[in-house]
Amino acid sequence: MQPASEEKSYAVGIDLGTTYSCVGVYKDGEVQIIANDQGNRTTPSYVAWTEQERLLGDAAKNQVASNPTNTVFDAKRLIGRRFDDPIVQADLKLWPFKVVSDGTKDDKPLIEIFYQGVAKKFHPEEISSMILTKMKQTAEAYLGHRVREAVITVPAYFNDAQRQATKDAGEIAGLRVLRIVNEPTAAAIAYGLDKSTSAQKETHILVFDMGGGTFDVSVLAIQESVFEVKATAGDPHLGGEDFDNRILSHCIADFRRKYQSDPTRNQRAVRRLRTQCERAKRLLSTQTSVTIEVDSLHEGNDFSIRLSRAKFEELCLDYFKKAMEPVEQCLKDSNLPQKAISDIVMVGGSTRIPKVQELIKAFFHGKELCKSINPDEAVAYGAAVQAAIVSGHGSEEVQNMLLLDVAPLSLGIETAGGMMQVLIERNSTVSTSKSQDFTTFEDYQDHVDISVYEGERAMVKDNNFLGKFTLKDIPKSLRGVPKIQVTFTIDTNGILQVSAEDAKSNKKSEIQIANEKGRLTQNDIQKMLQEAEKYKGEDEISKGDMLAKEELKVYFQRFDKGIQDLDASKLQEQDRERLEKKLADAYHWLEHDGLKAGKPEFEAKQKELQAVMNTETWTFAGHLHSALYRNDWEWRAALLVCREF
Amino acid sequence: MASEATTFIKKVSSAGDDYYHILGIEKGASDDEIKKAYRKLALRLHPDKCKEPGAEEAFKKVGEAFSVLSDADKRRKYDTYGADALRGGGGGGADFSPEDLFEAFFGGGLHP
Repeated sequence: MQPASEEKSYAVGIDLGTTYSCVGVYKDGEVQIIANDQGNRTTPSYVAWTEQERLLGDAAKNQVASNPTNTVFDAKRLIGRRFDDPIVQADLKLWPFKVVSDGTKDDKPLIEIFYQGVAKKFHPEEISSMILTKMKQTAEAYLGHRVREAVITVPAYFNDAQRQATKDAGEIAGLRVLRIVNEPTAAAIAYGLDKSTSAQKETHILVFDMGGGTFDVSVLAIQESVFEVKATAGDPHLGGEDFDNRILSHCIADFRRKYQSDPTRNQRAVRRLRTQCERAKRLLSTQTSVTIEVDSLHEGNDFSIRLSRAKFEELCLDYFKKAMEPVEQCLKDSNLPQKAISDIVMVGGSTRIPKVQELIKAFFHGKELCKSINPDEAVAYGAAVQAAIVSGHGSEEVQNMLLLDVAPLSLGIETAGGMMQVLIERNSTVSTSKSQDFTTFEDYQDHVDISVYEGERAMVKDNNFLGKFTLKDIPKSLRGVPKIQVTFTIDTNGILQVSAEDAKSNKKSEIQIANEKGRLTQNDIQKMLQEAEKYKGEDEISKGDMLAKEELKVYFQRFDKGIQDLDASKLQEQDRERLEKKLADAYHWLEHDGLKAGKPEFEAKQKELQAVMNTETWTFAGHLHSALYRNDWEWRAALLVCREF
Repeated sequence: MASEATTFIKKVSSAGDDYYHILGIEKGASDDEIKKAYRKLALRLHPDKCKEPGAEEAFKKVGEAFSVLSDADKRRKYDTYGADALRGGGGGGADFSPEDLFEAFFGGGLHP
């Protein structure tokens, strides 16, 4: 371990998406979006288990058709939800992997896979933590340093439980989560930095963020370096995957009609078809029709269908129209007239869909949309800037920036008659605290139950229950006499804490809401951290194998080049032939036995080749050796850096 | 820097419920002046910017003052009846039905 890497540590920004994730870092005065080991700047939010190993990202997504039940995605659609949530129940029917209840009163969903012959169950937080680990490793490989801190983004409309669970996922991945930031707010930073020249006077922008699984709208005021969110609205379950599903259902109906057979139970068939549907959707953003084709889809029948852009729009029109409601709501909440919006910033892959653009443009009476920022990377970009701000690593420009975000939902408690008494109104700037006095309902009541809810409806039964706690030992008196002060505090992550205090006895009781609502306990998190470490161990073994193999390959090349470079006069023909034969044999070994080999075998092979040089070819070994190791320290240093991880 | 922040924290925390005093503006300040004063203070007191003890509490007070003074209705109420008028009822902006109002007057207690 190099001491330097211990000292220097970067804070990264991670956009943990439903379908794709992206990581960025603020370095040398600018944001770098980091490509993964496949060279891709976004990584599929996929985790898979094969017979031998766990796969993450592209590797997991690429094998999904052949391994559908052990390939997990969409963890973001489960995180912070209960198993009996109608949204979870509806999604279940579309997933090839198995989701079960944990059987406790919290009714947490668990994802069940088979690994090395044993059924294993994972919380959605754990799946998300694996994706975060992948993003962390991607950043570490690029930076050559460990990454310990991160800003992670969530949809602005994520509720308290979903935020908490995302924060937990970061901890399980071994990251200190500096901040949970709302996605459209992060995108606004990317936009604002891009436009920093004209920031003298106040401007208002609307961010329309539609990704793979979630949809948010935020209105912000930007003046100089202060980004103030005025209002936010959205749908935590609307995005590209819903459109894929519509195309998929359309195709399945067509297949049924053509062949009188139902492919829906054939997981592999559905998965193959889904992949083609997603592809078709993307293509329809640039062309007016596509053909969806899958050979031998089900029971030997080929499938082929022509899909026009118009048909696609018809299939998804209700979704597209539904997306306009939060836009209207958000404008209304911000108390701004439509014409006050100077720019409409489009973020997320689904904003490439022409119909979506057309509808929002029409809503703003033909106003041009701002597409100057990369819709796939803007959120990670802004998160990286926020990481620099919070960790104090950024340039002066960044250090002067301030982000004022809001809580997306109203928060309150249940009072008599099942009424919701709001303490913190939605779109309140965080962090914030609000206190209010309450009293007892009955004579000589010695305790009160405080039930906490989030939502906009007047009756608590229509809102989302967050948790409940009891304030005990209230001095007995007539109803209406005791004074109980309830205080709500939301921190800068948008996470809530509630306390209640009896003024007379100074008895105090408080909860961190999410602990009550099926949140993982610290114990759970510790257990999962250990589990993650175990996987990391396994990952490191296979990474060690891979590195040894790469090192051997490099050695081959140098060996080969060394032979070629050598002066003919210094190398006799028969020696050259013998060496080339050795090398060819070694290559053959790598292509065949090498497929199953591990680090010890690769190292042994390299030693064998070295031995060839050292013993059999004394005469020219000196020349060859110097040719081989001309830049030895350079690539050895490079390998050492790689091994840090 | 630190002493400047401390001055602001002191000023804000000693201002009580006087929202104008918290933001350091005159009673008749325009919307623009209110906004400017708020952003200036937010930049100094937000927990991201200031690690001094008491900064977060001060920031919350600044936020509360701004949320009232930047809303014409709430500002009028505050000017007439003071800060308490905006607390008690809570949930400002929510639409209350007659039943709700009944509950608010005769219920309002917490269940055992």
